[in-house]
Amino acid sequence: MKLTSVCALFLSSFLFVAPATADGITIVLGSEPTTLDPHAADDGGEKAVNDNVFETIMTRDEEGNLQLGLAVEKPTQVDDLTWQIKLRPGLTFHNGEPLDAKAVAFSVMRMIDPELNSEQLSYFSTFAGAEAIDNTTVKLTTSGPDPILPARLYYFMIVPPLASTAEDFAQNPVGSGPYKFVSWDRGNTIKLESNADYWGGAPEIDEVTYRFIEESGTRIAALLANEVDLITNLSPEFMERVPAAASMRGLEHPIVLLNTDAGDTADIRVRQALNLAIDKEALASALFEGQATVEAGQLLGPTYFGFNPDISAYPYDLERAKALIKEAGAEGKEITLVGTSGRWLKDRELVEVVGGFWSAIGLEVDVQIYEFDEYLKRLFDKENRAEAIFVVSGNELLDADRSLSAYYASSGFGASNSYPELEEWITKARTETDTDARTKLYNDAVAFAHEQATHAWLLNINNIWGMSERLEWTPRVDGKMFVNTMSFK
Amino acid sequence: MSRFVLSRLLQGAVVVFSVVVVVFIITRLVGDPVRVMLPLEATAAQRALFEAQLGLDRPIVEQFIRYVRDVAVFDFGDSLWQRRPVMDIILERAPSTLLLTFSAISLALILAVPLGVLAALKPEGLVDRIVVFVSLIGLSVPQFWLGLLFIVFFALYLGWLPTSGSGGFRYLILPALTLALPAMARILMVVRSTMIDELNTQYVKTCRAKGISSMRIVWVHAMRNAMVPIFTLAGWELIRALSGYTVVVESVFAWPGLGLTAIQAIERQDLILLQAIVFLTAIMVVVLNILFDIVYKLIDPRIDMAAR
Repeated sequence: MKLTSVCALFLSSFLFVAPATADGITIVLGSEPTTLDPHAADDGGEKAVNDNVFETIMTRDEEGNLQLGLAVEKPTQVDDLTWQIKLRPGLTFHNGEPLDAKAVAFSVMRMIDPELNSEQLSYFSTFAGAEAIDNTTVKLTTSGPDPILPARLYYFMIVPPLASTAEDFAQNPVGSGPYKFVSWDRGNTIKLESNADYWGGAPEIDEVTYRFIEESGTRIAALLANEVDLITNLSPEFMERVPAAASMRGLEHPIVLLNTDAGDTADIRVRQALNLAIDKEALASALFEGQATVEAGQLLGPTYFGFNPDISAYPYDLERAKALIKEAGAEGKEITLVGTSGRWLKDRELVEVVGGFWSAIGLEVDVQIYEFDEYLKRLFDKENRAEAIFVVSGNELLDADRSLSAYYASSGFGASNSYPELEEWITKARTETDTDARTKLYNDAVAFAHEQATHAWLLNINNIWGMSERLEWTPRVDGKMFVNTMSFK
Repeated sequence: MSRFVLSRLLQGAVVVFSVVVVVFIITRLVGDPVRVMLPLEATAAQRALFEAQLGLDRPIVEQFIRYVRDVAVFDFGDSLWQRRPVMDIILERAPSTLLLTFSAISLALILAVPLGVLAALKPEGLVDRIVVFVSLIGLSVPQFWLGLLFIVFFALYLGWLPTSGSGGFRYLILPALTLALPAMARILMVVRSTMIDELNTQYVKTCRAKGISSMRIVWVHAMRNAMVPIFTLAGWELIRALSGYTVVVESVFAWPGLGLTAIQAIERQDLILLQAIVFLTAIMVVVLNILFDIVYKLIDPRIDMAAR
């Protein structure tokens, strides 16, 4: 009798599989955060967790439009180099420290402190200093005129001055957001609990557990086994297999940089032909099961600052492409197409299919796939550039500056052109504080590049999440997983 | 004996030092951590600053001397990727990997020895054929696939065990089984063939003639002689698992061990962490090898230590 009950107990310990708890949810991330200091790393896992723990002065709605976060009004530009930020009154961090002008000024100074050596510096490169004017007013100075500052503030997390100077802040973060940090069992889980006193209202879901599974098959299995409620980076093929799936236009824009200075792509007709030869609709439906939209002939999404609504994608026109190649005398010429594998969703497949489309108009396409670091060497090499280099541009700030500075302006590390117009417009726009003038500069740059076919524009790929049946959530353009926007059915 | 241990330790030190040099050179040659770690859009100035702060802008010889000096006192520096001491990361992850590998190899031995003996009792018999067939499957199926199959069957279909992660005995079962199966198959084959050989020797025939029970012949007399090759292979399996196979299994089961960490360090070009993992794994392999040699002597006193 005794033995059987022991056996039963032993067996039941096998059979009991922890279900996702009733009032909490479990979210699976592809990689564990390296730190929970919101200023140190450029790390998707860290952001996914800290987006719920920390807050920013500006935020965005689901579509990507800038909204107020901790600020009561849109930051105002006092002069070329000075911005004034007005905070909501009476805010506190989870440990009781006031979230006031001093905390914001402290956060700015902390970010630019060379001692911190932040991987995020490239997002905040114009921050020069900050001081508190009164309890809720901050004066932020920039190293040059910076029209993008409000967009930067959407990416910038505010930390408590006392707690963030503690030795263990990276393991034990203290923020002000709708969730409070509870524990971090390295390699295993991070736990958060709801902040009942949150100024924006207490969230519906009480507890959040994050797990980290790199292997995509295992992630899907965990969802199917009802162990978890939400998994990231679901492959489009599996959307039908999981209990529920949600997708949204993402921030990643695959594109091919065409060399306008050397090789056969120096001829504009060849570049136009390369654009016309790609059946973007087919790419979206065949490679991504429809979970991608055709890029509107520019490296920007429709809600990004600088998007040019008058420009649209090159049509798929095989005959015209062939005719242009013939006209340019480029038939049978070799085009080198450089890509990488395993870094971005279906990066290798995309490059191979694009290479196939180009072969179809009578070119010899040499597709070269490199390991990521080797590939980066070629992407960054401005001296010897391949005719075509595939890259995926992620635009976290949803502003034209970052993508265009990198891939359009000739000084950009990933630009394959030397058009002085592009360089001039984009450089000017970076410091142009008049919104209309700045919009026009970007619109001009986008239209010019489109006409010159400086790139082969491809798709905007959706982010896809797998969800449990009980979870109710609508994803956002910026891919942020705010748990206080989730609920149970 | 002590002279033997000492000479093996010296040889081991040479091996470990060579590993340090090779790893240092290879990691410096193949990758640029700054390129991989910073966002693509970071400027050249930001890259240069970051590089200087990591000390990667110093001449390679200087970097190497500093590295060897630090390693000599077991100071491996801070991980580039996690920004905390590499030793903390390793001490955090190593127990998971040790638990997994030792469980797996123990499991492999516990299954392989009786099954192998059973198969050897009647070579070409039905039991033998079944056992051999099953172990061939264990040998030929790739481990990552085997792991996924186990997840699908035991976690999804039956719902008995968690799919992945760690946090108690239930989480250990599937990864240990996945890691154990190919090792079990290989050990089983050796148990089977050595037992078949032993059971055909003159002394076993003499034993039988003397009327000693068959159980006693197998488990006491023959097994004692079969133990050296079995033990050799088990040790080799343990080392193999520790220094490589865990990578696959830990990835599939999101098991937070050193193998998974090594893969992540490679993906993120974390030279410092990778160096430390390889270095410590090399030490572990050397130490285990020396221990095995000592145990051989205990199993079979005829083995001449000086000659080995």
